[in-house]
Amino acid sequence: MITAGIDVGIESLKAVILKDGKVLARGIGLSGGVNRARTTEQVWRDTLAAARLKPGDVSKIIATGQGKNDVGFVQERITEPVADARAARFLYPKATCVVDIGADQVRVVTLGPQNNILEVVMNQKCAAGLGILLKSMARTLGMTLEEMSRLSDGPTAAAAVNDGCSVFAEMDAFSLLNRNTPKEEVARAVTEAVAVRINSILNDKMKPSKESTVLVGGLSRNKAVVNALKRRSGINFLIPEQAEYAGALGAALMAAE
Amino acid sequence: MSKQRWETRPLEVWNKAKEMRAEWQKSIDTASSERVLLAQGNIQWSIGFPALRVIEDNPVGAMMANKSDEFARICRLAGEVLGWGREVCGYQLNCWGAMYLGHQMDGSPFPFRDLVIPFPDPCDQHTKRGQAPMDYSPIPRFQENWPLYTGPRDTDREKAMIEDRVYCTLYIIEEIERIFGQKFDDERLIESVKVAGGISPYAQDVSRFMQHIPSPLSQKDLYSFYTLGGLTKSDPGETVAIWKALRDEVEWRVENNIAAVGNERYRWMEAHPPPWHFLKYYRYMEKYGAVCIGSQYSHMMAGPFEIKPDGTWAPRGGGFRQLVNKPIKTREDAIRAMIGTEARGHRFKDDEVIRPYALNDFAKAYKVNGAILPLWRCGVGCTVTRKEQGLRLSEIGVRVLHYEGSQPGDRTDLDENRMMDQLDVWMESQGLRKLEE
Repeated sequence: MITAGIDVGIESLKAVILKDGKVLARGIGLSGGVNRARTTEQVWRDTLAAARLKPGDVSKIIATGQGKNDVGFVQERITEPVADARAARFLYPKATCVVDIGADQVRVVTLGPQNNILEVVMNQKCAAGLGILLKSMARTLGMTLEEMSRLSDGPTAAAAVNDGCSVFAEMDAFSLLNRNTPKEEVARAVTEAVAVRINSILNDKMKPSKESTVLVGGLSRNKAVVNALKRRSGINFLIPEQAEYAGALGAALMAAE
Repeated sequence: MSKQRWETRPLEVWNKAKEMRAEWQKSIDTASSERVLLAQGNIQWSIGFPALRVIEDNPVGAMMANKSDEFARICRLAGEVLGWGREVCGYQLNCWGAMYLGHQMDGSPFPFRDLVIPFPDPCDQHTKRGQAPMDYSPIPRFQENWPLYTGPRDTDREKAMIEDRVYCTLYIIEEIERIFGQKFDDERLIESVKVAGGISPYAQDVSRFMQHIPSPLSQKDLYSFYTLGGLTKSDPGETVAIWKALRDEVEWRVENNIAAVGNERYRWMEAHPPPWHFLKYYRYMEKYGAVCIGSQYSHMMAGPFEIKPDGTWAPRGGGFRQLVNKPIKTREDAIRAMIGTEARGHRFKDDEVIRPYALNDFAKAYKVNGAILPLWRCGVGCTVTRKEQGLRLSEIGVRVLHYEGSQPGDRTDLDENRMMDQLDVWMESQGLRKLEE
């Protein structure tokens, strides 16, 4: 049985096609903002082509992600924590928690013994847009995200920016730059603020296991953020190779059930 | 769409509630032309004065937020321009803004107050509410005390608290008589206190009936009634009559399994007021077969309940309430009896130790599966102990959802779409999918 999952995120679109529990193809693209419906169709066509399939070959497609309602060609839509939970248990059968750090949202999902979800904690408005903040700051600092990650991966910065609100954080970063703070230092301060905020959400209601917590989402590719988060939380995260595809994978797995 | 499990039908007595509310609003608007004093406040004893009406800003500010976010925003901005911070109660800012602008939501002239008798409250924002109208006009302000303590119940202290409030009130009445030259009618007050005491048993029955599955009413139904006799004062006899009519109708609904939500399969509760500009989420939750059975706030007319040793859910009684049963012959007796039913000392919303556990009892009594607890930045129902409440509820198996916003009367910080997303996540993570789109 061939199934697919599409994760329509704020920043990027991910698609996964599965055949009998094995990944046939993955596809990724930028979300396209207001043109998200069109860009999703393009990513879907590209992914189908990579898998050498026609649309009719796929039995069921499920969409997830914050833009899931923009996609018209799917049979079902599920919320992001449900998809994350399914993917985490598939990738790590003994996982007890999955943390998804994306462009806009941070989701902490505690898993129960029967693939059920015991608790979900999401960031509130004040911590929204952490991934978007990093992208925006990289642009301001004249770096790529990769460069920013490399330069800010180190000890805690002496400078600090607001860790409660991404808008305030950006304003603080501008103030630091206006005072001639080196841009590497500003990058470290922003990265640290992001880690502080994610860590506060991690500990909002539950304390995730140090050894069986899975980290997924686009920000899990950012080494500086992950290292800062590990340092702050003490969690030795399990990070799958294709962590940014976890939502799409979970949706594809659900489609097969 | 799945087949509906239980019959639903609108509440017949609802129209009467709307009528009473409209009459109350009219009585405020016409006070000036009828040469009746208009006091900002929430006092039952105002009925003793022949020409005095009272208006409490809370329901008005909430209504403004609900009916016209645009006007409410303009009003709050008018308040900010004059120096009031955004963290001041949104209800008050809405009303004060209308006062500064000189007109109401519908464009009619603002009914300026002649005096202010702020409802005493341990919350400083509540007691602050009299300041703006007092300074603006200026007009006299009479502020009662609200003595309060936390910790184990202390009956002697409670008696002293009542006495303090009784003499404070008697003094204010005498001052109003002296300043405005109106003779206070003791007999009218005594009669009113006796009659108004009749609301409680009916309101208590209504609260208890909501334990039934399916719940005969939902939170939105309660919001049509919970201010009648409390925050909005009408003729005491008429108010008792509508509560009796509501009780009778709800009893009939229980006997006939008439549900508020035809597919009830999930019961949830709240703590304190909702975002009045965004009541849509109640209907949205119904798509999941989820009914909101209310909050301690919306059940307020029934007074505080507790789980008794035999497991029943019943009025707390004792303490202050014992004093109410004494004969009422004088103004002082009436004031004491009235305060005896109003002063709560150990109130669910004041005690950070008791409050989470009182909420747990509420959850058990109404067999709730989940609780939605807002994290307000400020104002009425602000967030003190809300996270603790959430943790205590989680311990007894109640799933908790928090969402952020400014405050019930202020839309500014509430991201409605994010909140809807959260509701979907919350329900799906509990294994529930929408029964209808």
